[in-house]
Amino acid sequence: MFKLDRKSVVSAFIVTVATVAVASSVPSKPSIDGGVYYPIVNGKTGPYLVNTQSAGMKINNGRVPTANEIKAWDKDIMPDGTGLPEGSGSVEDGETLYEEQCVMCHGDFGSGGGGYPALSKGNAYELQKTLKNQRDKPDADGPVRVFGTYWPQVSTLWWYIKDAMPHTKSKTLSSDETYALVAYILNINEFEIDGEEVDDEYILNREKFLKIKMPNRDGFEPNIDGPNAREAVRKYYANPANFGAKKVKPSKRCMKNCQKKTAKVVRIQNGGINAFEPPMSVERDLPKKPDYDQGFNVLKNYEDNCMPCHGADGMGAPVTGDKEVWAEVVSKGMSTVYKNGIDGIRGMPAKGGASVSDKEFKMLVDYMIEKSK
Amino acid sequence: MDNEKSQKDMKISERRDFFKRTAALGVTALAGTSLAASQQDDPAIMHHVPWGQKWGDPVTKNRYGIPSAYEHNNIRRNTKLLASGNYRASIAVTPIHESEGIITPNGLFFSRCHGGVAHIDPKEYRLMIHGLVKKPIVLTLDQLKRYPKVNRTHFIECPANGGQEWRGPQFNSLQFAKGFMSSAEWTGVYIKTILEDLGLKPEANWMLAEGSDNSEMGRSIPVDKILDDAMLVWGQNGEALRPEQGYPVRLLLPGWEGNLCVKWLKRLEFSKEPWYAKEETSKYTALKPTGKAVQHFYANEVNSTVVSPSPEKPWTDLKDGDIVEIEGLAWSGMGTITGVDLSFDGGKNYVEAKLKGLVLPKSWTRWSYIHKYKKGEVLLLTSRAMDDAGYIQPTVDEETSVMGVESVYHRNGVETWEVTATGEVNHVQIRS
Repeated sequence: MFKLDRKSVVSAFIVTVATVAVASSVPSKPSIDGGVYYPIVNGKTGPYLVNTQSAGMKINNGRVPTANEIKAWDKDIMPDGTGLPEGSGSVEDGETLYEEQCVMCHGDFGSGGGGYPALSKGNAYELQKTLKNQRDKPDADGPVRVFGTYWPQVSTLWWYIKDAMPHTKSKTLSSDETYALVAYILNINEFEIDGEEVDDEYILNREKFLKIKMPNRDGFEPNIDGPNAREAVRKYYANPANFGAKKVKPSKRCMKNCQKKTAKVVRIQNGGINAFEPPMSVERDLPKKPDYDQGFNVLKNYEDNCMPCHGADGMGAPVTGDKEVWAEVVSKGMSTVYKNGIDGIRGMPAKGGASVSDKEFKMLVDYMIEKSK
Repeated sequence: MDNEKSQKDMKISERRDFFKRTAALGVTALAGTSLAASQQDDPAIMHHVPWGQKWGDPVTKNRYGIPSAYEHNNIRRNTKLLASGNYRASIAVTPIHESEGIITPNGLFFSRCHGGVAHIDPKEYRLMIHGLVKKPIVLTLDQLKRYPKVNRTHFIECPANGGQEWRGPQFNSLQFAKGFMSSAEWTGVYIKTILEDLGLKPEANWMLAEGSDNSEMGRSIPVDKILDDAMLVWGQNGEALRPEQGYPVRLLLPGWEGNLCVKWLKRLEFSKEPWYAKEETSKYTALKPTGKAVQHFYANEVNSTVVSPSPEKPWTDLKDGDIVEIEGLAWSGMGTITGVDLSFDGGKNYVEAKLKGLVLPKSWTRWSYIHKYKKGEVLLLTSRAMDDAGYIQPTVDEETSVMGVESVYHRNGVETWEVTATGEVNHVQIRS
């Protein structure tokens, strides 16, 4: 029923706005993503009204870029070598560059670390076989998804290094340096090019680069190459079973007894992930003072908050200046002294009732100890 | 409104009031008059509030308004788990648990970048469109904004929303379990409108969208989407895009993965073949148990969550017999939400919830169900949405049976909140 509606709607659309040059390119087929296509019909797309007065008009904003301008920005590298400049670089030079500019993020031999991706986990051809691994049991090994084992095209690596690396100062590497780094990354992934091992002596150039075949070249679906690619993509997403989606007629959906007998509640294990920054809170209060106020006046805060009890005998609190008593206090260890003060101890309320940060409170304690030496 | 919190506030103000009242009674005693104070009287009503007795701020303050200082916890958050690149190739997520309606305030819109948030001088902004077009062009920002505009309300969702939980629940938090998404009303121009000027060549199959940020974020997009509803947007909820959203111009592909909606947009190139950009192979591909990975995984599938209650905002304050609204969000990158079912027993049995407010294509849609709370009841709240493309959310088992547990992206299996006997809310999953 849905398909019928769309067909009639789309044909109406083509008739009414046939003057729009691009309209004929709009597919009168299911959407490429498996979703609904909302054509502009009678000045409406879905619930939205559209002003279609400009249909067929040339607006002609902007200007034609110069050849140099296009060249300056068109720096992408395509799998067939389009855009890839001539040049060469050795594994040896690549390693030197890597040690200088990359190792601090990507780790020794591309092992990863610090939240940056690993570039290698060893022999790419062997590790490509791990891609069927599933961590569906507690001690199961996962798939290794690094450049060598996973990426379908090597052009991606060259392009990305040249455009986006090093991360803190991108677009600073020459083409030869890029070839060298690519050579080094191929080396640590134990690649072969045209039957030849990319060993420590290897020198990579454009010609050799274009012969690289990635171990996982055929590891992706749907097909996106060639003249029939868009049809292949459309067909792929027309089948929900391909991508874990589910279609059902609303009237046929399950409303009662929809679960297997074995259904059970799975809970968060080991506390889950809760290291949130800032910590989770739904309090509606005034923001806490910053950790440390640059203008924090120790003397004034001492006088306001501490002196009433610590300033004179008779209050039961260690008196500022009483070396003996404070030496005994300090002998408990500073972390205990701070903690007692922050939490409150005996007659002393938490932080002595002062509204100061922990750090500021410690400054007040330090002040009293200093005055009692 | 969180009653537990308000009770806490009340206690604080009562305590504060104790001192005040003591002082006041002293004064009234001296004056020889008395006003009978009742224990039921709310001090927040019985006393002048400080803001009622002094000048407020002049209207000249805060030339660009900011939220109340009391709202300081309604913020984007991040976690070290997702801290790549010293938070430059990382994400800060939206406090969905505090969200209202179908629009995210611009300052709370989730922020994902691959080389840090770029700050672009709009005077030096240029957009180049070239490749398989009859006439390549370069546009300034003002020239781009001269095209006829369209305004559309769409969510943008990172396909990794919920992607940490394929093997089981990890986040006892709505913000982190579902906050890799936000929604806005966008203003921009259909790319197809610009292409009427340029003339797309028939052999063009793909468009590269490339950002000018540090990572030169790029993605290949099939022209089908470009000729459908793809937009170049500069407006977000009535103002310029925020830098985190790609100021001054980003690509908007309604319903499709957030990373495809390239920010700080610099260049569009049309070609016969796709580019294999880094973020369309090394990332944003979903590995299946067959060892094959789904690439060019475009639309975010139909999805939903209960927003109220949530682990952050539980039902610990409810009394027996309270009438409470269970409220949620539903969304689909493939169409318009047609219905949401709600289960109280983790997906065994469902009832139909009600959709509320505007129901728009590829947009957040609010839904709710009115519930009479029974003190001590234990519930497993599971929502399940459907869209007009015919999709329905799968169960966790149904989805993992196809995708396994390693695919990271596009998880849209039903989500479950456990409401405990004391009203606490926990994120759980129902699996066989």
